Amino acid sequence: MEKVEILEGSMAVALAVKACKPGVISAYPISPQTHIVEVLAKMVADGELNSQYVLSDSEFSAASIVYGASAAGVRSYTASSSQGLLLMTEVIYNAAGTRLPMVLTGVNRALSAPISIQVDHQDTLSLRDSGLIQFYVESAQEAYDMHIQAFRIAEDPDILLPVMICMDGWVLTHSYEPVELIGQKAIDAFLPPYRPVHCLDPEHPLTFGSYAEDDVLMELKYMIQGAMEKAKVKIEEIASDFHRITGHPGATLVEAYETEKAEVILIGMGSLVGTMKEAIDAMRSDGISVGLMKVCSHRPFPAEAILDCCQKAQAIAVLDRGFSMGSEGPLSLDVKAALSNLERPRIFSFIAGLAGREITTETIRKITMETMKAAKSRRVVRGSQWVDLNRSIL
Amino acid sequence: MRTSIGAVVEGGTSLNYKTGNWREFRPVFVAGIAPCREACPAGIDIARFIREAKSQQFDRAWHTIMEENPLPSICGRVCAHPCEEACNRKEFDEPLAINSLERFVGDHGLKNAMMVATPKAERRERVAVVGSGPAGLSCAYHLRKLGYGVEVLERSPSAGGMLRWGIPEYRLPGTILDGEIERLRTMGIGIKTRVSLGKEFLTEGLKDFRAIFLALGAQRELGLGIPGENSPGVVSGLDFLRGVNEGRPAALGKRVVVIGGGNTAIDVARTALRFESRLTLIYRRTRQEMPAIPGEVEEAKKEGVGIEFLTSPVGITARKGQGLRLECMRNRMGKPGPDGRRRPVPIEGSNFSIESDTIVVAVGAAGDPQGLAESLQWIEAGIAVDEWGFTGLPGIFAGGDLTPGPRTVSHAIGSGKKAALAIDAFINGWDKDLAKSVFLGNRGSLSMEDWVNPPPTARRSDRVVGYEDLNRLYFGPSPREGMPQIPDEARRIASFDEVNLGFPGEIAIQEAERCFGCGTCSLCENCYTFCPDSSVWRKDPHETFEIDYEFCKGCGICAHECPSRFIEMVREEK
Amino acid sequence: MVPRKDEQELFAPGHRACPGCGEAIATRWILKATGANVIIVSPTGCLETFSSPYMFSPWRVPWVHPLFENGAAVASGIEAALRYKGRSDIRVVVIGGDGATFDIGMGGLSGMFERGHPVPYICYDNEAYMNTGVQRCSSTPLFASTTTQPAGRKSWGKDRPKKNMPAIAMAHDIDYVATASVSYPKDLHDKVEKALTMEGPSYIQVHTPCCTGWGFPPEKTIEIGRLAVNTGLAPLFEMEAGEVTSVHRIGERVPVEEYLMAQSRFKHLMGSEEGRREVEKIQRVADQNIERMGLL
Repeated sequence: MEKVEILEGSMAVALAVKACKPGVISAYPISPQTHIVEVLAKMVADGELNSQYVLSDSEFSAASIVYGASAAGVRSYTASSSQGLLLMTEVIYNAAGTRLPMVLTGVNRALSAPISIQVDHQDTLSLRDSGLIQFYVESAQEAYDMHIQAFRIAEDPDILLPVMICMDGWVLTHSYEPVELIGQKAIDAFLPPYRPVHCLDPEHPLTFGSYAEDDVLMELKYMIQGAMEKAKVKIEEIASDFHRITGHPGATLVEAYETEKAEVILIGMGSLVGTMKEAIDAMRSDGISVGLMKVCSHRPFPAEAILDCCQKAQAIAVLDRGFSMGSEGPLSLDVKAALSNLERPRIFSFIAGLAGREITTETIRKITMETMKAAKSRRVVRGSQWVDLNRSIL
Repeated sequence: MRTSIGAVVEGGTSLNYKTGNWREFRPVFVAGIAPCREACPAGIDIARFIREAKSQQFDRAWHTIMEENPLPSICGRVCAHPCEEACNRKEFDEPLAINSLERFVGDHGLKNAMMVATPKAERRERVAVVGSGPAGLSCAYHLRKLGYGVEVLERSPSAGGMLRWGIPEYRLPGTILDGEIERLRTMGIGIKTRVSLGKEFLTEGLKDFRAIFLALGAQRELGLGIPGENSPGVVSGLDFLRGVNEGRPAALGKRVVVIGGGNTAIDVARTALRFESRLTLIYRRTRQEMPAIPGEVEEAKKEGVGIEFLTSPVGITARKGQGLRLECMRNRMGKPGPDGRRRPVPIEGSNFSIESDTIVVAVGAAGDPQGLAESLQWIEAGIAVDEWGFTGLPGIFAGGDLTPGPRTVSHAIGSGKKAALAIDAFINGWDKDLAKSVFLGNRGSLSMEDWVNPPPTARRSDRVVGYEDLNRLYFGPSPREGMPQIPDEARRIASFDEVNLGFPGEIAIQEAERCFGCGTCSLCENCYTFCPDSSVWRKDPHETFEIDYEFCKGCGICAHECPSRFIEMVREEK
Repeated sequence: MVPRKDEQELFAPGHRACPGCGEAIATRWILKATGANVIIVSPTGCLETFSSPYMFSPWRVPWVHPLFENGAAVASGIEAALRYKGRSDIRVVVIGGDGATFDIGMGGLSGMFERGHPVPYICYDNEAYMNTGVQRCSSTPLFASTTTQPAGRKSWGKDRPKKNMPAIAMAHDIDYVATASVSYPKDLHDKVEKALTMEGPSYIQVHTPCCTGWGFPPEKTIEIGRLAVNTGLAPLFEMEAGEVTSVHRIGERVPVEEYLMAQSRFKHLMGSEEGRREVEKIQRVADQNIERMGLL
């Protein structure tokens, strides 16, 4: 039996990254990512971690350093949050287009302006078009397990895309939870050394970053989408391998919670899922027919799984912790797209918890009741509903 | 496969994209004529042999010279080097020491007993060459190379003509002369000495030989036309030098006066010094007008020859027991005469006399109209011939000092070569256009190599490259190498040892580096260095470059930066 | 240094540079100095665009074009990766344009210098954003006309002096800073070789005339570069530990007017009294360079 320790979420991530033996780590500080990179730095300083730890002058440079290291055939890692993730955006698109594996931790935090260091998903959601594989974790344990699998997913020759593990800032990074650690031998068995498909090597000179004309560019981009589609299958394979070797549950694209015959299904990502589960338990014991689809992988978006699970429900309530200004909550747009072209349940979009505003079990219950009411009425509901909005200060 | 993971591409694949089709103009290496080659009567490809010497390909350099001139070690010692006067580097700092470099390469050939290739095909025809001076030897050589049977017929006991009799050992050692002549024998040229011929040879000889080349030279010394010039003790310069070379020098006495300003006069003066005479040389014009090679005049002065300029002889009186008295007058320079040269005008009342034991007269020579050449058409300057050396009599050609023209070794060599070409054309049929194309510039020199192996017209232009054609920014000033000599003058005149010692190898290479390579490649590598498209290349480090027309975009940088004007931009034909 | 056709040229022909491109010449000579055991990073710019059309790459060494502003940062990552692998024998060299270096990538460059990576950063300086159509950059010299700051009835073109990047590089206390010119390629080659001996970062700025952007016929690229050096506007020097350790002395000094009138980007200064006054300002820049650096 492996050890269970009470760890700060950031520490759990650092331990996972350390166990995966990245060759190059580069980071630029931004709250609430800082504890992760500080712990890693101390490990390097104490000789526990044999990585080249490059302190960069900006997040753009940090991502670029990791891009360069990956292009040179070395496993690499970085982490950022909020404004820093936006600054990394150009590099992330570039890495995806060049099909270079990288692992990043996206510590969720609101975006300026106005500036806030509290949690929401706007930062990582704004990267969803880039070709980055994104998982949202619910707990420190999940963060630990997912980081280990992230390296193998990224480096898979059929995938070769950057992978980001999104974890809620402060809520997960700075709180303490029990985490069961995995022994180094098992991790080594699960995650072999990185063997690049292509890299910068004088023995075999290759040119990275070509200029492509319109006769081939669409196809090259299509291949990225192809990799995303393949990733859905490969992630499951990798996950079952992970489970077999370590005994821990492997990655899933979605997690269904009490969805069997549920009238209303709630959909959400990240740590708020924990609150949602508690609320659902309470509502079910009150006889309310409600279940939860936790979206673990936002990209690739598990449309088939959602469709499978949700098409029999009466109504779906999607909780977004971010917003696509001028449209709707991004997660709800994905869900509506997954369920389009069908006889389908009605889908309602809710925006909650921006910039750290608490989402309580009360809020969840309110959302559920609203959804049920709206589903029964034939009233057309467009756009997203902003939950717990204080209209008196507008 | 048009797509690759991450759009990653194999290196070097741009070779599949032929940017050569972007061109509107293409760079072409077009050889122009270097002014040194134009000025060289022997037509040597000087820029090429110097380039080869520069990269230590001495064998190749020797063969380059031998394409045109069979006597490099001789010329490298006695030639008047008009090439150096024409050298474009003269305007930049100092001309190349071409003459010394020719000597260096010639001596390399002698030291290594080098031979030219045997002729590709032997021909049935035989040609007779009468006279074994430089004109005769050159004609014989070129005809032999063309495959003809050649017989050289020489009147004297040994071959060489003026080279043997007229040039002292301290300038041209007999061993060098023997070496270059022996090489001709080894090629299969028959050289017969002590052969006397009469004028019937010009008709009888054509029964055995398809053509005859007359190279009798000009050995009849001209007189002074002054009273007393037949007195005992007055000797001809050529006779004196000949006597020295035959080992029976005339006794000169302590005091010697030499009259004349040409190379023979200087040779006589320096030779007399070595017999311990005190020397005065008188010349009627100034130093600038002296026909002798200026370097030779300089050597004479260094060795102690006193020269009286603007002095003419007026009369000679023999005084019993006291030697000779030479009465002289001073001149001043007057108006130019019919030959364009300023005439000396005697100054009234400036007479003075010089006492002397011997007076040597060396004021010029002419051909001998008696004997073999009697029935030919004689004009004042020699036998009348056309530009190719044809006399007008069927099968009879002439050249060298026997015919009008400058009386120099290199001119004789050039005329022998020209006649060989004319004889080849005469025997085989005349290709007038090809004959025109072998001329190099406008001073009468031609290339035998171009006659034998005509170069593609696109790669050779008739343009003589001038100083303004060169991109001189790539040249830095560097002094001309001096010829090492026997260190002190007193030692020099104590013997007939060769005064000039020749360049050692490193000095020769250093001097060769100074050559601008006008109209040809000077191995500066600018074209290769500055090509943006990696489209200039060569097979090996000693070769000149080539253009890769698959990729060359015709930007023109190579042509613009070539210091030697060797690249022309030519419009592409679509 | 003599190839058999394209065999040993690490920068193969078939690239799409303008005929007469100075950068292509410089790149050939840089690669002769680095040899094949190198990884080259090029941020977005002319060199990158003309050397990497998809499926047609002239790079016979490993090469990566990441983005516009991160040449130095990516090079830092590659260098760290090689160090991790124990392969610091493989060198990393950045070849980037003035736009990527002087402006958008300056922050990342500063970071690389400060961290001390042993990476020579070579900037080919054609004094504008040439790739995108000759727009103004902080590297553009005084009074040059560019498309975003053109000369006109109310403008003499660029109104600010050229940013002094070598000084900025030197202010980071890096091992070696040098300027070079494509008209003196052997000098450039030697400076790159020297940079590769340094334990830390170095910066070499190569003046590369651009016939398309500056307005002169392509065969004059080298001649124009030489003129720039001989006016004093493009001084060639080396600095180590904050001190100038060598300068290229100008043989025959050239007045700036001779250099300016050979290029259309300065033609608005010619032929008027006011223009002549502005030319004098440029002459002063040259005079100051000559004086300060002892170029004569």
